[in-house]
Amino acid sequence: MAQCVQSVQEFIQDSFVPMVAVLCSEDAEKVTRKNNLNFAELLRPFCRLTSEGHIRDPNNQVQPVKNLRISVNNVCTRPAPATGSLSPAQRRLLGEVVSSIQPPEGVTANIITAGDHDLSFNATTPWFEAYRESFLQSMPASDHEFLNHYLACLLVVSSSEAVPVEQFLKLSQEQHRIQHSGDYTNPRWFIPNTLKYYVLLHDTSQGDEQRADAVYEDMKQRYGSQGCYLLKINSRTSPTGADEQIPDPWSQYLHKNNLLSQVTVNHHNGNNQLVLSSAWCVPSDEMPDSMQSHPLQLDCPPSGGLDSLGVLPPGGPTAARAAALAAAGTHGDCLTLNDHDHIRQFLQEFTFRGLLPHIEKNIRQLNDQLVSRKGLSRSLFSATKKWFGGGKAPEKSIAELKSTSGLLYPPEAPELQIRKMADLCFLVQHYELAYSCYHTAKKDFLSDQALLYAAGALEMAAVSAFLQAGAPRPYPAHYMDTAIQTYRDGCKNMVLAERCALLSAEVLKSQGKYSDAATLLIKMTSEDSDLRSALLLEQAAHCFINMRNPMVRKFAFHMILAGHRFSKAGQKRHALRCYCQAMQVYRARGWSLAEDHINFTIGRQSFTLRQPDNAVEAFRHILTNDSQQTATQQGAFLREYLYVYKSVSAESEASLPKLPLPCIHAAATRVYFGHERRLAEGEKQAATNVSLDQEYDQEQAVMWCQLEEQAVASAHRGVVPAAFQPSQCCLNSQTDNLRTPLAVVEEPIIVEVTFQNPLKVSLLLSDLSLQWSFTPRDLSSPQQGDLLSELLPLEEACHRVSPHTLTLLPPPPPPPPPPPPPGQQSSQPLVVRGQQDLEIRGPRLNSTKEDKTSVSHGQDQRLHPLITPPMPLMEVFFLQFPTALLCGEITKAYVEFCNVSGVALRGLRVASTHPHFFTFGGVGGTSSSSSSAASTPLSPTSAEVCSAYHTLATPPGDPHHHLHPGHPPPPVYLVSSPVEGLVRGKAVAVEIPLEGGVLRPGQSAQLPLWLRGPDQEGVHEINFLFYYESAEKGGRISHRVLRHNVFICASRSLSVCATACPSSVPSADHRGRDAEDGDHLNDGMLVFVDVENVNMSEAGVREFHIIQVSSCSRQWRLHKCINPYKDKDCKLTSRERAKLCFRAARCKPLKGNHRRIACTPFLIPLLRQIVSSTTPCADFFFRCCPSDPVKKEGRAGGVSVLKHLFAHVQAYVVEDNKQLILEGQLHVTLQTVGKEAFSLPQKEEAQEMVLLKFKPDLPPPVIQPSVEQLSTLIKTNLHYPETYSHPFVHERLCVVPVTLTMSNCALAEVEVLIDLRHKTISPDSTEVHGTFTWLGQTQYRRRLRPQEVAPLPLRACFLHAGVYNLSTPRVFAKFTTPTRKEEEEGGVAVETSQQAASPALIIITSQA
Amino acid sequence: MAVCIAVIAKENYPLYIRSVPTQNELKFHYTVHTSLDVVEEKISAAGKAMADQRELYLGLLYPTEDYKVYGYVTNSKVKFVIVVDSSNTSLRDNEIRSMFRKLHNSFTDVMCNPFYNPGDPVQSKVFEGMVSGMMVQVS
Repeated sequence: MAQCVQSVQEFIQDSFVPMVAVLCSEDAEKVTRKNNLNFAELLRPFCRLTSEGHIRDPNNQVQPVKNLRISVNNVCTRPAPATGSLSPAQRRLLGEVVSSIQPPEGVTANIITAGDHDLSFNATTPWFEAYRESFLQSMPASDHEFLNHYLACLLVVSSSEAVPVEQFLKLSQEQHRIQHSGDYTNPRWFIPNTLKYYVLLHDTSQGDEQRADAVYEDMKQRYGSQGCYLLKINSRTSPTGADEQIPDPWSQYLHKNNLLSQVTVNHHNGNNQLVLSSAWCVPSDEMPDSMQSHPLQLDCPPSGGLDSLGVLPPGGPTAARAAALAAAGTHGDCLTLNDHDHIRQFLQEFTFRGLLPHIEKNIRQLNDQLVSRKGLSRSLFSATKKWFGGGKAPEKSIAELKSTSGLLYPPEAPELQIRKMADLCFLVQHYELAYSCYHTAKKDFLSDQALLYAAGALEMAAVSAFLQAGAPRPYPAHYMDTAIQTYRDGCKNMVLAERCALLSAEVLKSQGKYSDAATLLIKMTSEDSDLRSALLLEQAAHCFINMRNPMVRKFAFHMILAGHRFSKAGQKRHALRCYCQAMQVYRARGWSLAEDHINFTIGRQSFTLRQPDNAVEAFRHILTNDSQQTATQQGAFLREYLYVYKSVSAESEASLPKLPLPCIHAAATRVYFGHERRLAEGEKQAATNVSLDQEYDQEQAVMWCQLEEQAVASAHRGVVPAAFQPSQCCLNSQTDNLRTPLAVVEEPIIVEVTFQNPLKVSLLLSDLSLQWSFTPRDLSSPQQGDLLSELLPLEEACHRVSPHTLTLLPPPPPPPPPPPPPGQQSSQPLVVRGQQDLEIRGPRLNSTKEDKTSVSHGQDQRLHPLITPPMPLMEVFFLQFPTALLCGEITKAYVEFCNVSGVALRGLRVASTHPHFFTFGGVGGTSSSSSSAASTPLSPTSAEVCSAYHTLATPPGDPHHHLHPGHPPPPVYLVSSPVEGLVRGKAVAVEIPLEGGVLRPGQSAQLPLWLRGPDQEGVHEINFLFYYESAEKGGRISHRVLRHNVFICASRSLSVCATACPSSVPSADHRGRDAEDGDHLNDGMLVFVDVENVNMSEAGVREFHIIQVSSCSRQWRLHKCINPYKDKDCKLTSRERAKLCFRAARCKPLKGNHRRIACTPFLIPLLRQIVSSTTPCADFFFRCCPSDPVKKEGRAGGVSVLKHLFAHVQAYVVEDNKQLILEGQLHVTLQTVGKEAFSLPQKEEAQEMVLLKFKPDLPPPVIQPSVEQLSTLIKTNLHYPETYSHPFVHERLCVVPVTLTMSNCALAEVEVLIDLRHKTISPDSTEVHGTFTWLGQTQYRRRLRPQEVAPLPLRACFLHAGVYNLSTPRVFAKFTTPTRKEEEEGGVAVETSQQAASPALIIITSQA
Repeated sequence: MAVCIAVIAKENYPLYIRSVPTQNELKFHYTVHTSLDVVEEKISAAGKAMADQRELYLGLLYPTEDYKVYGYVTNSKVKFVIVVDSSNTSLRDNEIRSMFRKLHNSFTDVMCNPFYNPGDPVQSKVFEGMVSGMMVQVS
């Protein structure tokens, strides 16, 4: 229960006060009317007596009466409603009272921390207190108790009356008539002879004061000085004294009083004139139907939804009444402070002189009556003791009582007298006596089975027991429970039960028994009164939260129940408040169903209360949370939300409110700077720049960054500037977004936004547009301001976001699909306009300790680009770009650079992951030295017939030209950026030879591009990064890049293996020339080149021709070809191998720049000669070489040679029955004499590509000879002299002939391999035997026919005398016809090691 | 048998709630949520008395007009709540206890699943099936 302003004692005392009736003459009424009050109202603020009164109890002991309040009311003769329930008017009144008091705005609410809940709620519930007060005041008087029966009657007559005494007489008679005639049941009177108090009201401003005094004197004579009073009021003459501030004590009373007066009927001088107050409220009987549903039912709206909900007028009836009050004006205009004092004095006089003695007298009388009736004792206490002391029959249980109907006593029944006395005692605060009386009465009633009476007595007994000072006995809570139960079940009197519960709950609360109080209050909720149930449930909720261990959830639950009841009772504000308070407990704790329900209700209530913003907020929560509701429920939510939203947005036109749906995944937003890419233009294939289609790949990004670094470094003379930042074209969540991205003016920015629809119902999106604002920044003045905010229509497209799908905003689908008619929205779909903010929160910081302990996010500048002045924009197209190449194949493609911007570009460079993959040709003519006029064709059509190489036209059949070195081809030099790619052994971007180095706006340049197939087979991803700068310096963007990546599938072609060995025979030709050069004569070298066709594809490549082998050494030059095929060119079909032999001779090293190496070609006689030194051959060659060849060659001297060989290859490929000629070149680097050098990495050769073979079926199982069987194919035996003496003194070596006899045990021909080199490795054999060697041939190969026995003569050589084991030869054998298994394994028979023969010991003795 | 079975995490958010009359789901959510107050009260009351040998079964939490709510708390403060129809008088305390024990065992199995993230809603089919077996069968 909430905290109250009053203490419990005060509350109970004020609930039961002596009632005083007022009868006014018409003139007197007029006098008071001047103050806008009637007489009862006039007195009301002064009804609480400040001074202390005294009363004597029947034992003549003085009992103080403190803080007494009396209730003064006009006599109302209207018949009271049935006591069991409140009249509709009263209910309405109570509803008014409750709805008029709302929690004060802005007052800091009470905050309670219970567990992990922080709740803020109103600790006090003034509306409840007001309700309680009104309720208790409007209690209809009933027969079984006398507490609200009138004890006295004030007869008021104005002094201006002609004969006041007569009026008094008339009023007195009137009172008597009301009380005793039996016509009226309603004003009930306590005692038959009601105290009549005569008041002469004198209007000082009007009447004759002396006359009034005279009349008063007369009255004193007539009624005694204690029974009458002269009240002088209205001393103020001027109606309003602006200068004087008179407190208006009526305002706070009349607030409630006004309402009360509406249901009371004023009685004027006998004629029953109904005076209804003018200010009556708007009838609010019609509650919205939709609110009358089960509290726990999710309000699934009926067809109409919110449309059917009536919207209350702002402020509701409260405002109407407030207006009426304002019209009534102020009260007490004619009263001065002195008048206030007069009234106060009057009431004091009346109470102490009139009322209290009257009560005292009556108590005595009743006591005497009781005592005398029983006649047992003089004292009541002893009487009651004797009466019940004997312990008569035990009280009957309530259950029994229920069955009997309530019994009614006649008004003067003796049983009621004791109750009457108890009530009197209670009213004058003599609780001890009251308790004993109630107790007595209770037993009396119970024995008579008078349920109502008993319950009343029980109730009051409990209350008076509680109120007894010093508390001699504990509060009998069970009395109360019994009373409530009896009232409710036995008497069906909910009003009394409620009063009883209110009292009991308050008492229990004061004793800290919150749990009991809550139970009590919850029990009192019923279907007959929503308002009461709501208030009591709310109080119960407060009980739960006020417990020692606050029960938060129960609080919340009962708040919800209360809220529901409030809404049923039409108290929408209170309902909303309750739901909001309950929401604090349920919010974000996973109880989504409940949360949704509360949010939904809050939304509805807020909407009906004209708080659409709150409504939208609440509905938003339903939709944004992960809803577990069903699809239909979600649809209903959505419809309601849209309805509310629409009405909100209709009100506020200025700015579009935010929509909660669909959800934007802000972090997934991608921003793309740049124009939309053209994929292809005719045959041209555009560079695959960055596009939104590509997924972000970290490795790729790093790779591109490195490439860009290379390009930038080469542009800045090998140094990467400190301010270098990799340019990012497409920003997403993984890129570095700390930097402000730079966008170029007039270039599009594409933003990709990811939407998600979390609901199970479809959303229809249309007219999507992206709003943006632009802040111009003048560099000279740092001011900035938002100048324009424009709506940028992206595309008027309808997107239907189906559940759980992502839809990209840009680019919209090209044909805008017509909005499909949604199945569940058969009616007119609600269309609302709204906006959503696109704000990207940066990644969570996790570097410093503070970052780790707290949750802080970094910056994300993705959506804040800086617009820079125009920059060049280049597009790159490729023509005839192959997708598959043979290893080493050289082909030609074209690349076209287009400047599509308005700014010239320069410094075009390219960096690549495979710098040796490509090279550029010059724009016009490649080689200055080339005698051929074959210039690079600019049009791709002519390239089809053109070889990649430049050839020297050599007449066929003139071998001398080639063989004779007298006319070596003139040294040619590389022209196209020679070995730039090899500076410091690091890949560096290559500058692209543009004409003039500048590409003007709109210009395009086409360059030939030679590509050489990678040396390793497989699919290669090759990345190009084109780098270019603006021709104008000083922009914010230093450079721009364009990316391109291709996939090349390389297949195997030829494997070249070269060996160099010194030649001992110098050639005569050489001798002469070398002598001229002054070189050494004997420095001849033989170079063997093994070429093997390793191409795996069977259909594609038919044959390879070796066309030319060239060397590029400075010191060595290939001379003569010792060609086994003589003049025929070297042709290799599939899997064929050829060996070429060359003689190399040393020549004079060239002087000068070592970069300009002349490549001396050596030609296989052929139709034409290829100029190896021209681009692209040399380019490719130098790029492929892993290290600088010159350096090594320098220190090589005569010991090691370094030679680079080209093998120019032509391959004939049959494709689609068309013969194609492909060309290529392979490189071999010879480094050491005698060591084999391969064109392919050796590893690659080992890893044979296993071709997939499709077998028709499994081969029949063949019994394969086991290894054991195979190892016993050959039996060996050694024949030798057992002892052999040899004069070691004369001859150091002793040679013993040994015969190895081999016998073939198999029935097949066997090839035997005898290996004598084999040494026993095991250490034990060396321990036993000394060493000896076999002389002569170390390996023999023999063929043994089936079951053949063959001898093999061997010679063993011994150095010392001793015992030796001769059985060291290892014998291997294999079948000459391979077994089937071996066939499967590739047709190569494996030799199997044969079992070693038994040890054969020979003794060598030394001959003396 | 039960009309509603709920598993509540230590932090008092629902891990699993299943109720038989599906249309009245919200009501059971509220009931279970409200019962947590009583569970907490009982835990705090029992916690002081015997910290070690605490009885996991809390017994009848509170009766409502139509239902009886029983509670059970594991040692890791995961709460099980079973709501039983008041009219069902055949259910004795022992049966409720055994239901809770079954529930606990099954929940332990769920927790043992290495792919289950503690604190996530229970989605195990085995658990679901076991709970279904304990629920009132609505035809």
